[in-house]
Amino acid sequence: MAQKGFPMPLEVQYPKELEGWEEMYPPYYIFSEERREWEEKHFWYHDKIHAPEPMYPLDLIFHEAWQISLSQYTTRVFCIPPAQGVAQRMVGCYMYITPVAPPPQELIGEKAALFQKRVFYVFDHYDALWGLWLKKFRALGEEMANIKVPSEFPKFEPDDTVFPEPRGYYTSYELIDAWDRLVNAMIKGWQYHFQYLNLAYLAYLLFADTCRKLFPGISESTIGKLVAGAYVQMFKPEEELCRLARLASAVPEVAKVLKSDLPAEKKIEALKKTAEGNDWLVEYEKSKDPWFFVSCGSGWFHYEGSWTTKLEIPFGYLKSYVERIERGEKIERDLPAIDKARAELAEEYRKLIKTDEDRKSFDDTYKAVRTIYKYAEDHLFWVEHWFHTIWFEKVREFGTLLVKNGMLKETDDIFLFNRFEVPYLLEDLATTWALGVGVPSRAPYWQAKAEKRKKILEAAKKWTPIPALGTPPEEVAEPFTVMLWGITTEKVQEWLKGVAIVPTEVTELKGFASSAGVVEGKVRVVKLLEEITQIEQGEILVCPTTNPAWAPVFTKIKASITDIGGLTSHAAIVCREYGIPSVTGTGIATSVLKTGDTVRVDGNTGIVKILKRA
Amino acid sequence: MPYVLWFDKAGKEAISLVGGKNASLGELMRADIPVPPGFSVTTEAYLAFVSGDLKERIEKILSQIDPTDMASLEEKSQNIRQLIINVPFPKKIQEEIESNYQALCQVFDTPEMPVAVRSSATAEDLPGASFAGQQDTFLWIQGVEEVLEKIKLCMASLFTPRAIAYRVKMGFPHEKVLISVGVQKMVNARAAGVMFTLNPINGDPSKVVIEGNWGLGETVVSGLCNPDKFMVDKVTLEIQREISLKTTECVFDSLRKEVVHKDIPPERREIPCIEDQEALELARFAKKVEAYYGCPQDIEWAIDRDKPFPFNIFMVQSRPETVWSQKKREPLLGKKSAYELLLEKALKPIKIGF
Repeated sequence: MAQKGFPMPLEVQYPKELEGWEEMYPPYYIFSEERREWEEKHFWYHDKIHAPEPMYPLDLIFHEAWQISLSQYTTRVFCIPPAQGVAQRMVGCYMYITPVAPPPQELIGEKAALFQKRVFYVFDHYDALWGLWLKKFRALGEEMANIKVPSEFPKFEPDDTVFPEPRGYYTSYELIDAWDRLVNAMIKGWQYHFQYLNLAYLAYLLFADTCRKLFPGISESTIGKLVAGAYVQMFKPEEELCRLARLASAVPEVAKVLKSDLPAEKKIEALKKTAEGNDWLVEYEKSKDPWFFVSCGSGWFHYEGSWTTKLEIPFGYLKSYVERIERGEKIERDLPAIDKARAELAEEYRKLIKTDEDRKSFDDTYKAVRTIYKYAEDHLFWVEHWFHTIWFEKVREFGTLLVKNGMLKETDDIFLFNRFEVPYLLEDLATTWALGVGVPSRAPYWQAKAEKRKKILEAAKKWTPIPALGTPPEEVAEPFTVMLWGITTEKVQEWLKGVAIVPTEVTELKGFASSAGVVEGKVRVVKLLEEITQIEQGEILVCPTTNPAWAPVFTKIKASITDIGGLTSHAAIVCREYGIPSVTGTGIATSVLKTGDTVRVDGNTGIVKILKRA
Repeated sequence: MPYVLWFDKAGKEAISLVGGKNASLGELMRADIPVPPGFSVTTEAYLAFVSGDLKERIEKILSQIDPTDMASLEEKSQNIRQLIINVPFPKKIQEEIESNYQALCQVFDTPEMPVAVRSSATAEDLPGASFAGQQDTFLWIQGVEEVLEKIKLCMASLFTPRAIAYRVKMGFPHEKVLISVGVQKMVNARAAGVMFTLNPINGDPSKVVIEGNWGLGETVVSGLCNPDKFMVDKVTLEIQREISLKTTECVFDSLRKEVVHKDIPPERREIPCIEDQEALELARFAKKVEAYYGCPQDIEWAIDRDKPFPFNIFMVQSRPETVWSQKKREPLLGKKSAYELLLEKALKPIKIGF
């Protein structure tokens, strides 16, 4: 089917500098002649939510894991009748996805029977199931954290591996085993990740439908507000910072250190010198695991770092919190008040319902979504943040070992090899060690590969991939596609219209009206969390997407604009809470806007108007 | 029985005296809704006026009407209305109207204060009975003489050809239909229009839909313009706006001493005729009116150009919304439980559009 606008996958032209990109990813991730017919029938779009940047081969593991996990829950476990999985492909280092075409009619009936039996059970037992899930997941995280990665290859295996009984396996095996266990734990963690997530989204969509039938004009942001919980684990890192800031502000010596301009490491050293400082550090350590195992980004990229590796982030927040406490400001979110406001909102709408039957249906679906949607809010901290942070730290132990033994130049070069390739390097190293002394490895080959891949990824960064490939749908109604990726029929139409926009000619951006209100002001474009310290009071935040590590900044800004994310994205939720306007999912805000531009953000209509260029 | 009753003294219990429209203004005032003040010339005044000789003469003409002969109907109707206009009010009625109009002028310290003169029939609650004729609203009337004249015109509107023919067709005795006339302070409207306490398009009960234009509300009421539309959520107070290209407004021309249609100057054509805070205040009153009556309402409003916000907002009319309110209340979700709805949702075919 020839459609103007999007090329077919195999027609994509790649810049010369990207040559060789395909070998970084598993072969089934590449569009191929033998699957051409099936692939061309589908609509593939760049997954800007989870993979806006060129993909490091090892970071692909999360996506490999979710492709399988998300899809199998829909097709084989909870059996959502008309839906199939979401398939992935790589296109010049960028990840594209497609909702797979619906199954044949006879299968839908078969799935419906299983769906009823299984899904209703989960809804009925969710509270107990959540406890079990968390226990299981935390155990898996602990298991991952406890994987012992050999820190070096010994000259000779020590005596205790020989007496009283020779152990029978040694460092070479331990290394390969540790990698396998690490990878398996990650894959398993992602199997857990989707255990209830599809159902949580389904409940959300059900409730949204119910609301729209009763109140046809109800806004998406209001539905989001009705569903959003106040007691969300993703906000715990920020709450812990508030707690620590309160403790510090009661002890002048500690507050003084935290308010100083010293680097975080020096602050810790200074705190260690006094008894009060040590007491505070004990509390800090208590908060740290698990709550500061939070990524500085989305958790999807190794280079984002976390609050445990980029100490300037939490210490920067602590400084501003202590200062604000001293100015008499309230830093904590008033959770009971937020929860009360939500309950009152629901009650107000409920009162508008005309019949008792409808009121009952509303109550029923509201209860269902309030029960299970918590999963969508809470799993995020545990999987994408806590679990991924542990993973990145473990992977770096392997990276350090490879650098120590001359296999790679830098620790993070390990992320340039995919999860199937890393064992090559490990086995090469283990083999040369086992063979004795004076045996060469293929270190130069691996290092050259790493160098080449770095260059390809750099080139990919400069390349602007086309938003979509294949056959554009006339209508997008697949609920997860809309819900998770914010891909709507209108969005596709927009893509079709202007594939090549000239940023300087744009005068207006359109996105989701995520949080109501209208303000005008100067924007601050922030692409990385590190740049967040530059934000000044009353500016409008423009960023690719936000996540909980950004939370403290929302008290400073007067509106937010993001490239990606729908009505339930982090920025949308937090802005609604703070009562500041937000337009999310504009697609191009960070490339079109420059710091200092003056804009009008209309959170009621989802339109951002550029009033004056800086 | 009084010939004149101020709005705030006469609510729905006085409907036979002041008619439906005026009674509803009284009710709004009781609900603490800002309504421009004024008074009703009661049906009692009408009865006292159309009595004796005048009554007989009217009845005589009516008895000569052949309702199937359009020309005769038109001619007799004209005769009756001319008769009513030519006969002076009895002294007592005239004095009552004069003194109350003067009192209204004194309240605002404005001699010859502009008022709107409107008929308010007592039979309006009969099904489909819009008897009161068409020429029954007179805007920007100033001075006692003019007020008296327009009151008579309103009373005469009971005898338009259409009203007469309708009563004959329905077998409704002419003498049973009475009329009251409202005399109400004119709002010097910067903008005005109507609003509904639900979305008239889809029946959404969570919305107040406001339609407005620059100037007096007549352009909106009569559908002479594309009004601006503001949809306010009753709970979250979010506002959705559709701003129209507005070309004509209805304003008072102080030279010609009459209400005229004027071109809207270009700089005002595409800007909203009310501010957000005014839309929110209107919505707040809409909710209050609906709560007071206990059913959806269709309300006329105006914003005074001479007063500061929030004292510039007035309701000038409210009546029950008819389209959605008369629908039978069927559950919209078909009495389904969450699981039934979930299954229904999950079974809905997914369109990805291949």
